[in-house]
Amino acid sequence: MIHELRILPSLAIARFGSAPTPMDNYDAVVDAAEPLGYRTLRPAETLEIDVDSGEIVRALVPDALSFTENGAVRPVAPFLEVWALIGDEGLTGGGRLEPLTTALLEEEGTSAGDLRWQVQLANLKVMRRTGNAADAVRADSGEFSDHVRRALDGTCDNFVRGRTIGFGHVQYIRPTASHPQIRLRFTPAAGRIYGPTRSPFPNAPVPDPNVSEAVYDAQRGGWDGYRDVGGPQDTAPGGIYAGRRVGNNQVSSGYLDDGCDGVVRVSLELGGRTLRALGRVGAGPPAYAPDALPIRTVADELEQALFGPTVDPAEATFERVEEIVRRAFETVRLLNTGFHNEDWGWAGGAPFMASSLVDPIAVENLHQSLLVALRSGTAPWFGDVLRDHDAAGDRTFRGRRRMPAMMRGADGQLLTLTRRQVALIRALAQGPLFESEEPES
Amino acid sequence: MRSRITRHLWPILGAPIPVRREPDGAPAAEQIVPETPPLELSGRDYAISLLRLAAEIEHGLMVQYLFAAYSLDPPGAPAAQRPMVRRWQEAILGIAKEEMAHLVTVQNLLTALGGPLQFNREDFPHDTVLYPSGFRLRPLSLPSLATYVVAESPEVWEGEQADRIKQQAAAEVGGTVNRVGRLYEELIDVIGDPALVPDSTFDAASMPFQASWDEWGRGYRRGERGRQAASDPDAPAVPELIIDTVDSRTTAIAALEQVGEQGEGFGMPRDEDESHFERFLKVHQEFENLSEDERRALVRDIATNPTTDLSGPDVGADPADTETTSPIANPTARLWAHLFNVRYRKLLVSLSHAFELAENRTGSGSPGPRGSLIHRAFAEMYNLRSIAGLLVSLPLDHAEPDAARAGPPFQMPHTLMLPHDEDDRWRLHRDLLDAAATLVARIGAVDGAGTAHDYLTALAQADRIEREQVDALIAGTARAPVGAPTP
Repeated sequence: MIHELRILPSLAIARFGSAPTPMDNYDAVVDAAEPLGYRTLRPAETLEIDVDSGEIVRALVPDALSFTENGAVRPVAPFLEVWALIGDEGLTGGGRLEPLTTALLEEEGTSAGDLRWQVQLANLKVMRRTGNAADAVRADSGEFSDHVRRALDGTCDNFVRGRTIGFGHVQYIRPTASHPQIRLRFTPAAGRIYGPTRSPFPNAPVPDPNVSEAVYDAQRGGWDGYRDVGGPQDTAPGGIYAGRRVGNNQVSSGYLDDGCDGVVRVSLELGGRTLRALGRVGAGPPAYAPDALPIRTVADELEQALFGPTVDPAEATFERVEEIVRRAFETVRLLNTGFHNEDWGWAGGAPFMASSLVDPIAVENLHQSLLVALRSGTAPWFGDVLRDHDAAGDRTFRGRRRMPAMMRGADGQLLTLTRRQVALIRALAQGPLFESEEPES
Repeated sequence: MRSRITRHLWPILGAPIPVRREPDGAPAAEQIVPETPPLELSGRDYAISLLRLAAEIEHGLMVQYLFAAYSLDPPGAPAAQRPMVRRWQEAILGIAKEEMAHLVTVQNLLTALGGPLQFNREDFPHDTVLYPSGFRLRPLSLPSLATYVVAESPEVWEGEQADRIKQQAAAEVGGTVNRVGRLYEELIDVIGDPALVPDSTFDAASMPFQASWDEWGRGYRRGERGRQAASDPDAPAVPELIIDTVDSRTTAIAALEQVGEQGEGFGMPRDEDESHFERFLKVHQEFENLSEDERRALVRDIATNPTTDLSGPDVGADPADTETTSPIANPTARLWAHLFNVRYRKLLVSLSHAFELAENRTGSGSPGPRGSLIHRAFAEMYNLRSIAGLLVSLPLDHAEPDAARAGPPFQMPHTLMLPHDEDDRWRLHRDLLDAAATLVARIGAVDGAGTAHDYLTALAQADRIEREQVDALIAGTARAPVGAPTP
């Protein structure tokens, strides 16, 4: 019997795009023969949806990948699948997770039409700053069980009456004989900028070329012209919104975007019980360097949250440390290290590395040489130059030289690896200097 | 060959020299007192000859220490003793790294005095009057440790322990082990004397060509790099890496004193860093406290003086030295050893080439290829460690797979002189990359699985990337180095 429901993945991140066809599926893989090169983007099985019927019309592996369609970026539109925990007990009691299908539903005497979905999205970025609940932008699909593609238009008390910000669409995919699984697709918005009304006449042309539509009623809300006041409610760092400098203040231009995050709920009445599951979605900008990964990602944060900041020495493998090093030079590849050595803008001060050492290609090559050495089974020797998590604010020359150098975290401080990543490298460093690979005698 | 140097070194010994060989050890009937500077040499020239010898010695010590460190912690070492042996290993690797810094500092002194750089050393030199002991690549043992302790010891080191260790060292080398510090004391005397080395000798304009601590120390001051032993959370902080630039007599003397102090401590350390002598002594004490069997379990069975030369002892080996060399009969290990030698040469060529190019000290200008050469030198240090790690696990002789392992040969190239023309210098880098590519392909054909394969694949790609960059430099089509934008 079905014990519980799950939505998997429990967190899906969509990427903006204005093209009508979502991006094809792909894997970013390391080429075994070119371990220092760019990751190869290998097309993977992609589900093609007929928007009108809500059905999967075919599953294919594309011959080639294209990130744009007629000049428009193709959005990344994730699927959220419903899985069933089968058995009388939970996972620890011997239960197993398997995809929820029409057949499984039939076994339980129910059907796909009995599942109820609800998606609630919001963009609370303005409210977060102004503290005014009337600045929250929210969209709610309401409960639905059909397969109609639904627009999720965000409304806000301080918008011009009748205007909204589109957060994208959701669609409950209609199960078929060939694709009987239960899933929902979230297609994000285009990635547009919205702005405030600049005149008492809401229909007046918007002079700002960044703004696709004036939705925010500047007469009613205070976002246009807002400035951080330096209080504890400010973000760290403060003033990180589009605007103009007036004295020491960053004055908001009243911009909003169609980025959002929210929850996807699914429920099913079964034998007098209501089974519920919850997943989360978010939408952000496209990946413009999809063949590289940042040195610290949300996945690293989640892993640390799930498994803690320390590692069992057995987890510290060369492959995992190699992946961190690979991401280091993939990130360096995108940096103008010469520029950042001068620390213009955000850290202030003189160069902190010898200027002869900061040529970007030379720095990339040096990081690549770390990966080469790791592949020989040599224990990492660079664990002690890593920046510790509690040293993110150390902007002395010494502090800025620690690795990863020349990068900042979301808090505006020097970037650190997660404590778990650091622990992983240091745990491997505590192993033998040379990995034992004695040939058979 | 060695006599070219040794005949000028008598002043350091300070003892009178007999003018003729007396029969049967009879007392000398006639003697002369060594002069400073020696006849044939000016004061400046004498200082340069001493510095070049110092460079050879630092280089030789570094290589011997690396070999000793790589011999530690074999597979199957007792788990309870692994933290201790890893601590020794990292202590010795740390000392080797500091010897590298000393070597670089000595090149700075040579540059400031207008002398030729010295990255050379002989493979198996005779025991000169100033070499601490014969140059030998050997796995760590109590006697070899004793020679390291004595070589780094201060002038005054007495007592029961001192006597015992000196005896162990003397028995190991068949004579007295000289102190490195004695050479630095002589250097300080000579360079500190304006009558021997006039003020005008020191060329401040050579500073941009010297190795700076910012570049070679990567900007990590004392203790800033982290712990001395990455494997030990309780280990003391990494000591200062001494890379001093020299533009005057004052800075020259300061550099020599610092290098000397880091070696032997001079009895009165100016800071909390332990000298090489103290660190080696600590390892020796712990090693000595173990039984013979326990010691054996912590050290790999590696051949002494492994070499790719199958024809026997290298020229210069002491005929009385029964150890001589260990030819690497195992063809796979020999290919790796050749690759090791190529990377070793590439490291030395990158080092010396970097000294030919001035550092851009304007701060905001475009960095030149000097930075790339410095990074490449570090990359080759990583490669040497990597290949050494593979060599210490491969049998020396495939016919005796359970006998001794091979080890890193550290054989010197036929020359370390750089071509005069800058393009030709890059052609030399290209030659070395091509030689490496041949060896990588050959090794891949016989040792093409597992770690070796993974390493070779990555190394080959790194070399291809570098070769493209070198080609572009020779062709004059290299992308302009990127630095900070010009305001």
